[in-house]
Amino acid sequence: MSTRHSKAAEAYLKDQTVVSRHDQTFFGVRQKRDRMAQALPEWEDLREAANLIKKHTETHLADYLELFEKNATANGVTVHWAQDADEYNRIVYDILSAHGVKKVVKSKSMLTEECHLNENLEQKGIDVIETDLGERILQMMKLAPSHIVMPALHVHREDIGDTFRRLIPDFDQIAKGYGQLAGGGSPADPNDPTFLTYVARMHLRQQFAEADAGMTGANFGIAATGDVVVCTNEGNADMSTSIPKLHIVSMGIEKLIPDYQAMGVFQRLLARCGTGQETTVYTSHFRGPRPGGEMHIVLVDNGRSQIIGNAEHWQTLKCMRCGACMNTCPVYRRSAGYSYTYFIPGPIGINLGMLRDVHKYHDNVSACSLCCSCDNVCPVKVDLSSQVYRWRQQLDDHGHADPMKRMMSKGMSVLFNNPSLYTTALRFSPMVNWIPGPLINMKLNPWAYGHQMMKFPKKSFHQLWKEKKL
Amino acid sequence: MSAREEILKRLRANTRETYDKPDLSQLKPIKYDDPVAEYITKTTTTAGAKLIEMKPSDDLATIVRQIADGDSVASNLPAVKADVNPDTVGSAQELMKVGVGVVAGTIGVAENACVWIPQETKEKAVNFAVQHLVIVLPRTAIVNNMNEAYTRIEASTVYFQEYKFGTFISGPSKTADIEGALVYGAQAARALTVILTP
Repeated sequence: MSTRHSKAAEAYLKDQTVVSRHDQTFFGVRQKRDRMAQALPEWEDLREAANLIKKHTETHLADYLELFEKNATANGVTVHWAQDADEYNRIVYDILSAHGVKKVVKSKSMLTEECHLNENLEQKGIDVIETDLGERILQMMKLAPSHIVMPALHVHREDIGDTFRRLIPDFDQIAKGYGQLAGGGSPADPNDPTFLTYVARMHLRQQFAEADAGMTGANFGIAATGDVVVCTNEGNADMSTSIPKLHIVSMGIEKLIPDYQAMGVFQRLLARCGTGQETTVYTSHFRGPRPGGEMHIVLVDNGRSQIIGNAEHWQTLKCMRCGACMNTCPVYRRSAGYSYTYFIPGPIGINLGMLRDVHKYHDNVSACSLCCSCDNVCPVKVDLSSQVYRWRQQLDDHGHADPMKRMMSKGMSVLFNNPSLYTTALRFSPMVNWIPGPLINMKLNPWAYGHQMMKFPKKSFHQLWKEKKL
Repeated sequence: MSAREEILKRLRANTRETYDKPDLSQLKPIKYDDPVAEYITKTTTTAGAKLIEMKPSDDLATIVRQIADGDSVASNLPAVKADVNPDTVGSAQELMKVGVGVVAGTIGVAENACVWIPQETKEKAVNFAVQHLVIVLPRTAIVNNMNEAYTRIEASTVYFQEYKFGTFISGPSKTADIEGALVYGAQAARALTVILTP
């Protein structure tokens, strides 16, 4: 009676200190988000505005894409269209190879993860450097992200320090520079986050200087002007695009919003929901190429134009990848990103995974207690928990219902449709109480797994009702 | 059919019900009794920046030199009397070696300390690649919230003309990617000072 998620979560839960730390870290972000929400009297109006803007844009997406393309082209940008991951990877490689690019610096993009761009380019001999600190740590450690906004928070400083010492060639020299800057000497803790961030800064700035191209994702595309908007705290998207002269933007087609008024709504929501900050440090509007440079935007479908036709799940297209649903999710916080089989974890990841491939990612639908907390924090009001519920209802149709649950459902159907059988069973149920604890609380009884078996009352509700004792 | 046509065709065929564009004029974004005071507080607390209120008698170039403390200065603002001009610098890489970059901000936002910096110099790296960024912002340019800021940008006829870039910056580059510990000085400028002009 377990899915791949629940098995992985069980293994993760063995180390309670790790679990508590993970849980508290992300609940801390959730609390910061709450403080942000409470500080704005218009908070709920903002959420509703964001919901309505996205509903409108996603249901007029073809028109807005045409407008966006027209404006971007007029601004001197080359716009490309990719139907799927393969076509997207090919387009990016063609642009890079046409410019003789050997090294690309890139800022975080969930779309490139979705399409496995990095592996693809590396196989073809192009060096891809992730420049978001968390992503760079994971890239060096050959790990996948565990969260979409704070991808490496689960990694401990000792492991980061060891990785840097092993893989950054001029580590000692950088460390010496840090000592001079800090007034001599090395840090008391060799894995001090301030020190390691400095090492990463110097290492990454070297990469920016050497790279032939910069790649970014897009938090938003503004149809009315053709702007691509990228939000970061580190400034890595800006470094990636202000040193190299070639800029390639990867953008899912659902990222469009109509105009600057809509942008005002989303800029105010994104960081408040995602990390509990009033804003990201940088909110950059890219409207065209640098002087003497080139800018390309690749618009990627990869299944999105099918999702719009899915009556029950099209609203996942409204998602702006802020991560708030993960931070609040009690299951995510206690099972962490790697317990999920899709690369995006948490409530939105469960749904996006199912839309990607039901047969591959159905294990994740068990990772939900239907507490509905995600619905209440989502800035664009995606009906996340209802969608998970609907997927569960369809598991049997897809051939992925749990055999034991299916058998139990059939049994219950017989029991509840047969009043005399039900009454008899009810009368004898207290006998279960006489079975010795170890026998009833054993592994064969899935109900008793993880919690104590309940005590059956001597008299049922029906009986008490009939005896007028209620 | 091209990928473009296929995607647009599928979107049109698969879209079921449609929704009207909401009227955002109904939204009432937060306002402050004293937006300038709110901006100063946000900038110097949550945003992690420094702020200098310039008096009419002060000289910009002198203030910048005090901030630079002997380091080189890059700017194309004539009043700064900089050492490096980002309009004529040989490559963007050269700005990575500069100590202080000075740029003009044209809108300050009270709710979140963001300052709108339209690109007005050839190399926008001056905003990011230098060690310490200085933004010169008139105190008359402060608005309450992002919606007001975007309304101004939308109405402007000067932004995005020569250079097709603009950015909101609220503080120094920062990260909390190592165990959630907040560290200033990730990849871009390690420090930010706003000079509020009268």
